[in-house]
Amino acid sequence: MSREDDRARNEFTGEAEELLDTLSRDLVDFEAQGKNVRPELVNKIFREVHSLKGLAAMLGFAEISELSHNLEEMLDRLRMGKVAINRNLVDLLYDSVDSLNRLLLSINDPSLEGLVDLQGLTSRIHQVVSGGPDVKSDDALSSLTLDEHTLKSLTEYEEHRLMENVRSGKILLSVEVTFDFSDFDERLRALTAALIESGEVISTLPAIDATGGSGISFRLLYGTTLDEVAVSALAPEAKVVSLRAAKPSPVAAASPHVEVETPPGEPITASPDDEVSLRSVSQTVRVDISRLDHVMNIVGELIIEKTHLEAIARSLAGQRLISHELGKISRNLNRKLSDMQRSVIEIRLVPVGQIYSKLSRTVRKAARELGKEIELVLRGEDTELDKMMVEDLSDPLMHIIRNALDHGIEPPNQRIAAGKPAVGRITLNAYPQGNSVVLDVKDDGRGIDPARIREVALERGLITGDEPVDDTRAHELLFTPGFSTASVVSEISGRGVGLDVVKRNIQELKGSIEVISVPGEGTTFRIILPITLAIIQALIVGASSEQFAIPLTSVDESLRILAREIRRVERREVFTLRDTTIPLLRLSDAFGLPGREAEGPDTKWFVVVTRSGEKTVGLLVDRLVRQQEIVIKSIGQRLKSVPGIAGATEIGDGEIVLVVDAGSLIDEFGGRAREARALVK
Amino acid sequence: MKILVVEDSSSMRAYLMTIIEGGTESYDLEIVEAASGFEALKTLPHHKFDAILTDINMPDINGLELVSFLKNHPVYRAIPIMVISTESTEEDRRRAAALGAEEYLIKPFESSELVAKLRRILRVA
Repeated sequence: MSREDDRARNEFTGEAEELLDTLSRDLVDFEAQGKNVRPELVNKIFREVHSLKGLAAMLGFAEISELSHNLEEMLDRLRMGKVAINRNLVDLLYDSVDSLNRLLLSINDPSLEGLVDLQGLTSRIHQVVSGGPDVKSDDALSSLTLDEHTLKSLTEYEEHRLMENVRSGKILLSVEVTFDFSDFDERLRALTAALIESGEVISTLPAIDATGGSGISFRLLYGTTLDEVAVSALAPEAKVVSLRAAKPSPVAAASPHVEVETPPGEPITASPDDEVSLRSVSQTVRVDISRLDHVMNIVGELIIEKTHLEAIARSLAGQRLISHELGKISRNLNRKLSDMQRSVIEIRLVPVGQIYSKLSRTVRKAARELGKEIELVLRGEDTELDKMMVEDLSDPLMHIIRNALDHGIEPPNQRIAAGKPAVGRITLNAYPQGNSVVLDVKDDGRGIDPARIREVALERGLITGDEPVDDTRAHELLFTPGFSTASVVSEISGRGVGLDVVKRNIQELKGSIEVISVPGEGTTFRIILPITLAIIQALIVGASSEQFAIPLTSVDESLRILAREIRRVERREVFTLRDTTIPLLRLSDAFGLPGREAEGPDTKWFVVVTRSGEKTVGLLVDRLVRQQEIVIKSIGQRLKSVPGIAGATEIGDGEIVLVVDAGSLIDEFGGRAREARALVK
Repeated sequence: MKILVVEDSSSMRAYLMTIIEGGTESYDLEIVEAASGFEALKTLPHHKFDAILTDINMPDINGLELVSFLKNHPVYRAIPIMVISTESTEEDRRRAAALGAEEYLIKPFESSELVAKLRRILRVA
């Protein structure tokens, strides 16, 4: 195979993946719209499969080509009204897209070959195609005053849609507009968007400027329930003409295909200024994520260099002029670096919706296996996250949703008895919150019963018989290793995992997870994630002789207190923040560093209030150094399992500091506090 | 010589360009790409094309509408058009021919076939 072919094949998998993603999302809409599905959507789905088939056939992917070919034929009949829309069809479409995804994956991973039942799918498709209703052909178009030229320019599909509109008694209008060459695409899209609110744009035919100017005219065939007057009001710039034959025929005269005498060789042109900007035609490039990682690393290293510069500027405080100049340079550098960093991060961001389609497919399957009926509601699909994080999220999300299906949603009879609709509902909602993104997985099931959690925990030997279990403790136990039964096998990962793994996955993404549950009403798992992992804001603090970096995503606030404000409750140090008692942890204790030599009631301390899920802990530190951007580097395997450490980072001057993982520190701390409590008893 | 390739799939566009570039090395050929009918319309006034290759199934305006526009235009009507489609759009290809498209090619095709047809419409040996 030639190098060109290789390149085309790589390019193909990328584009095919995108096509299948869009296709899956469109299928979700298709299913939601049911029998009243918009013809534009059906045509879009057809076009996507058509593109996929064309690509696969050209590049010699026989199986993808064969399946998409059969699918395309079925969709062609569907858009022509020759296939009925029902449950069976929707299932078949989902299964087909699922199989296409698998076939695509098997291109790069031969171990996945042979997992698709092509024959089975093909025969199901043939069944649907042969069982479709007969479409009568009649002469619906004779009632229209359409000129021969326009009729000839319609595709077979457009002609079918035109007839369908005539048959269903819609008003057929010709909408003619002339736009400037510089922005006709935007204006035409805006007009089309306004029109499809109350009808269907059947065809869009361009023509040379009907007004004799240097713009471009378009003639839209529009099927609608509105009359000419209403459409004219909707599109004031357009000339709206009815196409019903009963009226005198203004169409031929108004046709935009008027020949204007233009000297040969002199093209119609907007203005010479447009030349340069219009030259580059295609607006997107596809980039391998590893290249972006590389750029991001360089940005990270530049930031470290900048910190060096700042350190030098600080050390030169005595020499005012140099220090001032250096300070100015470093501020400018800082601004440019922030711009650059923001741009690179933006390039990496993709909509969370990319995994929604995968999720909805898997959920449908899981629900089918469990014999439960659920409605999956997906919201906030445009919320953006780092591409790598989105990929790593699908396993944990799937696990949580499966968990909700398994344990949250009650069987239909119980639901009806509880006065709920028989079909359970799981809502996935993504939304931005400051520099973080929140993902809520909410079910309307039975909620979490602390008593039941206690039973299971006892059974598994996670707690002793006399430990009380309240809501908070129950939610904590859910995420404890050994709580989940290993019999739950995740469809996506193929491994038996528990919620403890979900929590670890989320923590690896520097995020947190919490549970909100109301018995009888349902449970929400809330995941909070930073938008990107590549570069994060951190608070540099000093404890004993060491410095540490605490990611700002886990910091609520920091404040100064005096030693006398620290109180003791049950061998545990606490302080009061606006009427709330917050447990304290000395960072030097947590990492086994020596404490302060002399501590009087007026010794000054700083408290960094950190949060992980529902738990809050105040970290006691000696100094707040500054806020800065850090690039987290992972540390060796040996330290990986040490709780409380997320990695290491260089903070300038070549100094390496540990990055505090507030989540695991709080967990560890909670554990020790419980031990301490047990000892007291 | 300058040709315009109108195709909404970027990998198909890349593939077409590779074949065309490889098969026409001996000519001084410049290829301009358009990812949609709109892009094609926008780019037309800025070049003098010797041939246009277009797909049929595209968003915004489709290949047939583009052919109709070109073949009814006082200047552009002279530019030879090759319609590239799949057998499923056979009827639409027939319609494109009726509108005046000079040549057609059905996917999947051999690269030699594309090059031969392109040479034919460019009237080069």
